[in-house]
Amino acid sequence: MRTQYGKRHVRAFWFFVAPCLILFTTFFLVPLLLSIGLSFTNYDGWKTMDFIGLKNYRELFSDIKFYNALGRTFRYTLFSLPFKVIVPLLVAVLVTAKSVKAKGIVRTMIYTPSLLSALVVGITINWMFGAEYGLINYLIKLMGGVPLQWALNYKLATFVISFASNWASTGFYMVIFIGGINNISGEIYEAAAIDGSSNVQTFFRITIPMLAPTTFLVTLLSTVNLLKEYALVQGITQGGPGLNTTFIIQFIFDKGFNQMQHGYASAISLVVMIIFASIAFVQFKISNGGDR
Amino acid sequence: MSRKPYRTGKTLLPTVLTFVVALAFLFPIIWLVLSSFKETGELFSYPLKMFPSKFSAGHYQKVIRDGFFSYIYNSFYLAVVGTAITLVISSMCGYALAIYRHEVSYTNIIFGIFLLGTLIPGETLTVPQVTVISELGLYNNIWGVILPVVTTTTGIFMFRQHYLSIPLSFVEAARIDGSTEVQTFFRIMLPLGTSSIVTLALFSFMWRWNDYILPLLVLSDQKKYTIQIAIKNYIGFNGVDWSSILAASVMSMTPIIILFMILQRHIVGGLAASGVKG
Repeated sequence: MRTQYGKRHVRAFWFFVAPCLILFTTFFLVPLLLSIGLSFTNYDGWKTMDFIGLKNYRELFSDIKFYNALGRTFRYTLFSLPFKVIVPLLVAVLVTAKSVKAKGIVRTMIYTPSLLSALVVGITINWMFGAEYGLINYLIKLMGGVPLQWALNYKLATFVISFASNWASTGFYMVIFIGGINNISGEIYEAAAIDGSSNVQTFFRITIPMLAPTTFLVTLLSTVNLLKEYALVQGITQGGPGLNTTFIIQFIFDKGFNQMQHGYASAISLVVMIIFASIAFVQFKISNGGDR
Repeated sequence: MSRKPYRTGKTLLPTVLTFVVALAFLFPIIWLVLSSFKETGELFSYPLKMFPSKFSAGHYQKVIRDGFFSYIYNSFYLAVVGTAITLVISSMCGYALAIYRHEVSYTNIIFGIFLLGTLIPGETLTVPQVTVISELGLYNNIWGVILPVVTTTTGIFMFRQHYLSIPLSFVEAARIDGSTEVQTFFRIMLPLGTSSIVTLALFSFMWRWNDYILPLLVLSDQKKYTIQIAIKNYIGFNGVDWSSILAASVMSMTPIIILFMILQRHIVGGLAASGVKG
């Protein structure tokens, strides 16, 4: 049967795969190869394109601004990551609890911020953290405190960005955790209840260990999403004050599109790509792919 | 069990607590929406009040005068056309990768190529991507924003997983009845993928509607701007035009929230099962 159909099926296979493959090649693989090629040139996105060997890479490894942007991105990621994973986990446990009614409405409410564009997420949170007429500063004043300069102090500005990012992603990761929790067999919980395990004990001794693969997935997804934070920042600080919230993707865009250093931007992109992939790989190794 | 007498007591407190948490998550959106109906004077004067003293649609009128209906139209066009293409091509591709896995020896290699798309963040390729778009003559063209993003590994993966779960005997039976490969897919197998289609449709629509980076870099003519770019333009060098941006933001989030409310029963279930990536 198979040999008789063989050729026709191979042709059908290519017919089905071709549209995706052609578009993916044009807009992903070609840019990837282009990026490698251009990283050895001084291409300005217009006319100049000379081969300059490893000059971009040499320049890059001694570029203090590059290290600063990268370090800033890492600090932001490390600071935000625990919240990105723990908050949705706690929320998911809450909205899957047997004693909670109207679960659907509650889940929808928490999920809603995940529907907004990153830009609008930034704007929504930024509106609350306005220095003069923002709600948060108003409440601080009402309680007799001193209003904070959220946009001018770089630590506070980074906090606002992290807060916005966490707010918007909680619903999405909550849904992933709910999936994980629903996969845990109810018998284990029943056995624990019979053995007289308290809710807190059950959470730490059963829920957390059983959710390890889900937690790994959420950690991996949030790490990558934090490392490439960009549009959200445009709704809050646009990278300021100074360059204090300019993370690595914005740094690449500034070089490529504002300063027209496409060759140099390509070199940074490749180095960043390798760094991101290595981080994902290390996380994968440490957690053993999420297996217990 | 002897729990019955305590039931209301057992559920009331946790339910109230959960509602408070959920309300806290929704609050920034509520605050944004209520603020968008306040008059400019009220937005910037103390004391701040929860509700506008007089509901005013003034900011919305201003934003509409700025051409927001045409930006909404552009975003709709982008999202609908992009989603339609995504659904057709990723269902075809995912189907082929699943159904021909025994007959075509290199299906896994091709699948592996698409998986590169999840390993490498698209943002690191944006600079050369824009070069490709310009070389193809798609700069300042809506297709330059649609075509680069319609192939999603998530979509291909979803359909592949779905068709792996359907027995190959379905396909064999159709073949014996004399159906061609293309007919088998469109008439028999595609209708079996409805749950994946609905889920991917909503996500794809949302991704395209919310797209920011490519439209910003590719569309230079103001007439072609999408809603996100129009919103961004209210953030100037001298600060933010808050009274306009509040109304504009509300206008941009409304369609997605309505769509989600309509489709959510199909979505959240599908989401929990497959863990769709954003």
